[in-house]
Amino acid sequence: MLAYVIRRLFSTLLVMAMVAVFVFLLLHLSPGDPAAIIAGDNATPEAIDGIRQKLGLSDPLPVQFIRWIGHVLQGDLGVSIFSNEPVLKLVGQRLEPTLSLALTTLVVAVTLAISFGVLAAWKAGTWIDRVLMVISVVGFSVPTFVVGYLLIYLFAIELRWLPVQGYTPMSEGLDGWARNLVLPSIALGLAYIALIARITRASMLDVLSEDYIRTAKAKGVANESMLLKHALKNAGVPIVTVIGIGVALLISGVVITETVFNIPGIGRLVVDAIAKRDYPIIQGVILIFSGVYVLVNLLVDLTYTVIDPRIRY
Amino acid sequence: MSVATAPAPSVPRFRPWRFVRRNPTLVAGAVILIVMALLAVFAPLIAGDPIRMQPAQRLRPPSAVNWLGTDSLGRDVFARTVYGARVSLMVGLTVAFLSVGIGLMIGLLAGFFRTADTIVMRFMDGLMAIPAILLAIALVSLTRASVTTVIVAIMIPEIPRVVRLVRSVVLSVREAPYVEAAVAGGAPTWKILLRHIMPSTFPPLIVQATYICASAILIEASLSFLGAGTPPDIPTWGNMVASSRLFLSRAPWTIFAPGLALALVVLAVNLVGDGLRDRLDPRLARRM
Amino acid sequence: MSTRREILKAATAASALIASPSLVFAQAAPTRARTLRAVMHGDLAAFDPIWTTANMASYHGGLIYDTLFGIDSQYRAQPQMVQSFNLSDDRKTYTFVLRDGLRFSSGEAVTAKDCVASIRRWAARDGGGQHMFRRVTDTPVVDEKTFRIVLREPYPLLIDWLAKASTNVCYIMREKEALTDPQTQITEYIGSGPFIYNRTESRQGARYVYDRNPNYVPRSEPASFMAGGKVARMDRVIMENMADPQTQVAALQAGEIDFVEWPSLDLIDTLEKDRNIKLEVMNQSGTMGWCRLNHLHPPFNNVLARRAMLYLTHPTEVMKATFGNEKYYRGCGSIFACNTPTENDANTDWFKGGQNIDRARQLFREAGYDGRPVVLLSASNVQHMTNAGLLYQQWLRAAGVNVELVTSDWGGVVARRANRNPPDQGGWNIFFTSASGSAYSNPVALAGHASNGANAWFGWPTDEKNEQLRDAWAAAATPEERMAAARAMQENAWNYVPHVHYGQWLQPSAMRANLTGMIGMPELAPFWNVGRTG
Repeated sequence: MLAYVIRRLFSTLLVMAMVAVFVFLLLHLSPGDPAAIIAGDNATPEAIDGIRQKLGLSDPLPVQFIRWIGHVLQGDLGVSIFSNEPVLKLVGQRLEPTLSLALTTLVVAVTLAISFGVLAAWKAGTWIDRVLMVISVVGFSVPTFVVGYLLIYLFAIELRWLPVQGYTPMSEGLDGWARNLVLPSIALGLAYIALIARITRASMLDVLSEDYIRTAKAKGVANESMLLKHALKNAGVPIVTVIGIGVALLISGVVITETVFNIPGIGRLVVDAIAKRDYPIIQGVILIFSGVYVLVNLLVDLTYTVIDPRIRY
Repeated sequence: MSVATAPAPSVPRFRPWRFVRRNPTLVAGAVILIVMALLAVFAPLIAGDPIRMQPAQRLRPPSAVNWLGTDSLGRDVFARTVYGARVSLMVGLTVAFLSVGIGLMIGLLAGFFRTADTIVMRFMDGLMAIPAILLAIALVSLTRASVTTVIVAIMIPEIPRVVRLVRSVVLSVREAPYVEAAVAGGAPTWKILLRHIMPSTFPPLIVQATYICASAILIEASLSFLGAGTPPDIPTWGNMVASSRLFLSRAPWTIFAPGLALALVVLAVNLVGDGLRDRLDPRLARRM
Repeated sequence: MSTRREILKAATAASALIASPSLVFAQAAPTRARTLRAVMHGDLAAFDPIWTTANMASYHGGLIYDTLFGIDSQYRAQPQMVQSFNLSDDRKTYTFVLRDGLRFSSGEAVTAKDCVASIRRWAARDGGGQHMFRRVTDTPVVDEKTFRIVLREPYPLLIDWLAKASTNVCYIMREKEALTDPQTQITEYIGSGPFIYNRTESRQGARYVYDRNPNYVPRSEPASFMAGGKVARMDRVIMENMADPQTQVAALQAGEIDFVEWPSLDLIDTLEKDRNIKLEVMNQSGTMGWCRLNHLHPPFNNVLARRAMLYLTHPTEVMKATFGNEKYYRGCGSIFACNTPTENDANTDWFKGGQNIDRARQLFREAGYDGRPVVLLSASNVQHMTNAGLLYQQWLRAAGVNVELVTSDWGGVVARRANRNPPDQGGWNIFFTSASGSAYSNPVALAGHASNGANAWFGWPTDEKNEQLRDAWAAAATPEERMAAARAMQENAWNYVPHVHYGQWLQPSAMRANLTGMIGMPELAPFWNVGRTG
């Protein structure tokens, strides 16, 4: 087990090294010039050249890469070309909103989705099943930003129940924090609920058709508690897997949700940075995202051993 | 997890009504898709010019001339929606076919050759670790916006998922007696791969392809929303919805038609996917 | 004199003492009523208004720094930090004396040394400053509060340059920061202006917080543009970066924010109906959209093809497509923008005739256009540029020209427009850009008005006569002479056609109806003088 974890952590480093090279090349080989954006529209070509040289963007690519990776290895992701602020500080400032959004979405979505999925599987073939599954397919078929706009229009402008946009830090009160997160979590969670509910239903149906459950049913011990105990436990592995995959989906969704609801999170940070060609931020954030992704999946794999003792590493 | 090969569904005689009754989702999805595909193919016969701009006629409500009204540049929304079917369906289908095709090739090789496996899979892990939407935004914004760029940008993050799926099927099948027998019998490797191993990957891949297709159409819309989508001179449902979002309350017709078409097609593709999964192999479906 | 200074010093110290409790209060966030929440047109990406010409950096500068002179609403330069100044009889030496009581937010007094260093750094980057410094021989510091600028020849624009509000603005920083290489961004943002940048409360890319400077001593005159007393009536100003136009308007309607600088014009109708919202055009000089032509490569290395573009362009269609409501846009045939001091109608028959595609087709033919694709660079994330790209594509095709529309984000456009290669080797023929009308009206300060070949702005036009006329404009001693030079420049420009216009628009800002005293001016967003009723 410990050897396995160490091996996995090592491969995490490998993956991140690859991501680092890939992202660096992607950024520096494609067109875009932060110096031209900094200098502004009225700047002359010479002024832009001057800024480019000062930023070290005229150096050969290998030199730039080694300089960057050297700093990264010392835990320094560099400073923003534009604002001069350290990337780690910028990410740190954006961490709370993004984590809050992702975690509330995760909790809400997983709770609802597993209930839906279990219910649909238990009532498989009935109208309850059909309705739940149609809802979940629809949830999967509408762009997140459209859902977001509709929610804002209905609950924030017409009904005035909730704020339109923004984020209140937890330190300024849980009430404000929660009110700002309700609409974004629903918008973001919808696709996610659909995904997990469908997988849960499918896995549950699988397990329900296993011999031992049939036997249990035939013996007449079938009831809700049995269903939950046996079936859910055995359906746990694919559900946890999909939650792991869902983290990637969540990260993608966060980018759009943060834009619609104006949440100052990491997604906005990197989208803005791409538009400005602020290389250190883009490189740093993608590196961090990929690290988180790999670690979450490691965690997911370890969870398997808890859920299903048959799995050993 | 053990993986069984798909048992061929035994259909002795084709009875259309029974098929429809037993596979309502599959049929409903397929019908919507066929209608949309016909629209796309016969667009020039059905609709007028989707590109001509007449700013003086902007944001006109539906009328006899412009059945679904005009957008902010005075373009015909009906024509754009019909022509949009071409690009949106093409994006969805191309991404699905290419990512499944490429993923299948890599997955087969990785699953069969142990030496290649480690390198390829680490590389795939790396690709998967980059958030798909960020990779897509970066690719589109950093290079020239075109339909091809958008397709590539959506496709790249999908490939590793296909590779993983194919590889896991290959790993379980390669130990199967009939494959061992073929190896012992001295059959050439390519033959074993193509004849004996590849077919078992089809059922899960077909299902996977439908989901990729649906999500590609949605991601195209999201990319347009973030300003990194298809170029504005090419009508797609995604960039129509994204660029009309400001008129949601003032000129709802600009967003209604493309939005509905988009949701319908994604819904249809998902329904077909569900239907196929139920028919082909419910056990494999859950691996997604 | 010295006794007066003593008294003033004492007064300042006293006001500092009185003000200090409010400093303590400032630690706790001011109330919502005493806070202005504004959504500006973009993100404040960089903080050094000399290093970058971005307007957002200049807005930031306007809040925290002060200027020696400032323009008033009649575009006349008025002393701001300067108490008095005089010009020697040979008109070659300016002497400036600073006001009493000027203090940086870090506590040090503002000295002549700070001013000289700031002027020099500014002049290294600004177009006007560079033009002026070619004639400057020395900038001696006389005493703590007095300095001079010594010129080789008379330069009547000197005070106007120091007072101008278009980027780069000559903000006065501490000498410490002002000695930074102008190609490198400063790292501390300390000024002597009416607000203090609150770095701890700010979140890069999300919101930027400015607290009232309790030690600022405003002038006694009423506020007028950058001149007069800059009295901060709000304790705190927050510039929020909110990307989505729909969300901006929704937030304003819900009262979560007070001000949206550039609400999407497509949402104006919604706002006009809301009694709690009022709309005001802050910048009456508007914004010019222009279409820059590449003079190095065919077809636009031929003057006939460039003239064809004058006839090809519809004066208002791009505007109509982008802004809808005719109240907020117009066509403009003056090379210096309309509703500006340099506006004129020299050589504008082509404009009065409106769009003439046939004439354009004929001129392209006369220019020997050979069917090679014309490469248009269009920015997908700037609406008027996207629409300009689409409409020019349509018009060019109608005139028999093959078009390749290259779409990327603005970041991609600014990278590619620097490429001087032929269009099929990574270069370009046409790109779109915009500038504030007030910046556009200045023949010298706007880099795009230069036609000095390889050293010119992107597009690299060459025209001897244009360069002579620009110098003549700068050297003109009277307003009449200056206007004559501007007319001559325009007469000449529409013959060789450096670029063409696709319209001028007036962007209304939307704000809560209870805001009072908002100063509307081009290029800057002065948030002093703003109060709230009720």
